[in-house]
Amino acid sequence: MNTKLKKTKPTNIGVEEAKLLTVENVTKVFTKGQGLAKSKIAAVNNVSFSMELDQPEIFTLAGESGSGKSTMAKLILGFEMPTSGRIRYKGERIAKLKGKLEFMRDMQPVFQNPFETFNPLKKIDTYLYETAKNFRMAEAEQPQLVEKSLELVGLSLAEVKDKYPSEMSGGQLQRTSIARALITNPSLLITDEPVSMIDASLRMSIINLFKRLKEEQGVSIIYITHDLATAYYVSDRIAIMLRGQIVEMGSVEKVLDKPLHPYTQLLKASIPTPDPAHKWVSDIALSDLETKEFARVGCKFSGRCPKVQTICKEREPENYMVDGRSVKCHLYK
Amino acid sequence: MSMIDVKELKAYYTTEKYGRIYRVRAVDGVSFQVHKNEIYGIAGESGCGKSTLLKAISGLIKPPLEILEGEVIYNFDDQSLNILSLQEDKQRRKVRGIRLSHIPQGSMSVLNPVRRIRKSFQDLIDAHLKLENRTHLNDMNMVKKHLDALGLEWNVMHSFPHQLSGGMRQRITIALATILKPDIIFADEPTTALDVVVQRGVVQLIKKIKKEQQNTLIMVTHDLAIHANLCDRLAIMYAGKIVEEADVNLLFNQPKHPYTQMLLDSLPKLGDKSTRTSAPGTPPSLINVPPGCRFHPRCPEATERCRREIPELVEVEKGHRVACFLEEGSK
Repeated sequence: MNTKLKKTKPTNIGVEEAKLLTVENVTKVFTKGQGLAKSKIAAVNNVSFSMELDQPEIFTLAGESGSGKSTMAKLILGFEMPTSGRIRYKGERIAKLKGKLEFMRDMQPVFQNPFETFNPLKKIDTYLYETAKNFRMAEAEQPQLVEKSLELVGLSLAEVKDKYPSEMSGGQLQRTSIARALITNPSLLITDEPVSMIDASLRMSIINLFKRLKEEQGVSIIYITHDLATAYYVSDRIAIMLRGQIVEMGSVEKVLDKPLHPYTQLLKASIPTPDPAHKWVSDIALSDLETKEFARVGCKFSGRCPKVQTICKEREPENYMVDGRSVKCHLYK
Repeated sequence: MSMIDVKELKAYYTTEKYGRIYRVRAVDGVSFQVHKNEIYGIAGESGCGKSTLLKAISGLIKPPLEILEGEVIYNFDDQSLNILSLQEDKQRRKVRGIRLSHIPQGSMSVLNPVRRIRKSFQDLIDAHLKLENRTHLNDMNMVKKHLDALGLEWNVMHSFPHQLSGGMRQRITIALATILKPDIIFADEPTTALDVVVQRGVVQLIKKIKKEQQNTLIMVTHDLAIHANLCDRLAIMYAGKIVEEADVNLLFNQPKHPYTQMLLDSLPKLGDKSTRTSAPGTPPSLINVPPGCRFHPRCPEATERCRREIPELVEVEKGHRVACFLEEGSK
């Protein structure tokens, strides 16, 4: 698969060649309204991160709603074009790769709500065969490919054959959705909140599936979620996003065991523990209006940060490397 | 004395398709009691009947939902009444809003999009309080006092729902549901679909209201972590039946029913990367429920007896009820 991509277009950037994905200073600005009511929102604001080619990993983008994590997924998939900055996939710019079969084969999405992913009037297995056909996989191999990818997610062809989406549970549908993504044998899966619509008792089976895919198939996964407990369980690295910016990024144990950014600390404190012995006692400050936080100069979190200083409201903090992770906070200058 | 006494309640959805009658047995023989001033939690997966149970006990019964059997008795300080025997429009209305109130799921769609928030408050007060001795000014003072107590700003009153964030809308919905100081509050997934930080804010708000107004709260959500944080007692539902009920501490520390154990085992925790597994199989459809114990197809310890007989919810120790033959045998 890797060689296929390189054959189509030889890369000339030596450093980038070793990376699976590089996101460099990407900004995406959306314009809202018209005329005088026109306003701009930077949904993704100067974000940079990268993923290595030869070591598969699960990278989590975590944050509240409106933090720009889904926009980031759309940018990587090439559904949206960044306002500034560049995204490279295996050394090639996404803008050039967009719409090319080889690229789409190599990077596949899994969406949030399995009940909406599938057309209710279409049989489930047609999605699998159609994907194989649309991506021009060798015709003779198509049935095997479908069977193999179903097997990877723990389903059999008999379970999905001639079934409509309404006849299957959310967990099964999400597995089928992942199986569809695996047909083209991708090296990167972009999963946007893949378990938020799935029942508690089935959720872990999907999460364990991601773990297995990484370990056995060598698939890298970008896992987008607001659920830090599953993120901790499954991922290797994590980036915490707030209003379009990455405020803390590093290995998941470091970031979540000992968060340094006050926002990560607040997030961690807000995860309810399934243990009645650890109830919340103190009160927390809730966010201002979203638009206010987006428009804020300086640190976006300064409005509700318990450790706020004057400099926080005036200047945007840089990324500082502390204890093996990057933190965007004036406290660690 | 218990505040709410639910006895053998059966609530089915009945539909007819091609001349055949389909019964969705959403609530099938459920009995429990809720004490005064407690927070009673009901947990379960989607489609296990927890929302239907809430609808049935709060008297929101509309076709295709039907009550087949059972009674729901409320014991207020000055009167006790069976909500299922009341007449829909006149008598149930009198109880609602003042005595009982409901925090609905999905704050996105409960507020009227073309009315300002203050109008919604006015509508609610108009509908439930008698007209004598009431002026608009008094009403608004009442609203203001209530919002102050909850720590919400008065400014939001003049906004339309779409101008507010999801968390704010949910808090407004909670304020709206509690302004008349009801004796009992039913909360149906009040924190679902909210961000973690906002979710904590909402739990904070519910605790505050509970402390101030001294009311009884019934909390329905699938999120066990929220239950652990908020509830005093917790019932676990599976396929239309309560399978286990106990004090929250007892339930989390010594779960007895295999389903409860599986649910608790599957929860990932921060700081713990050990492998978590989820229960095999999927929850049954409530149209064709398995015979015997409804959990037996997924249960690792199912015996022949579980396939034939339905286990009763029995008290295994004080305040801990379990519906499982394993427990019956060990006693």
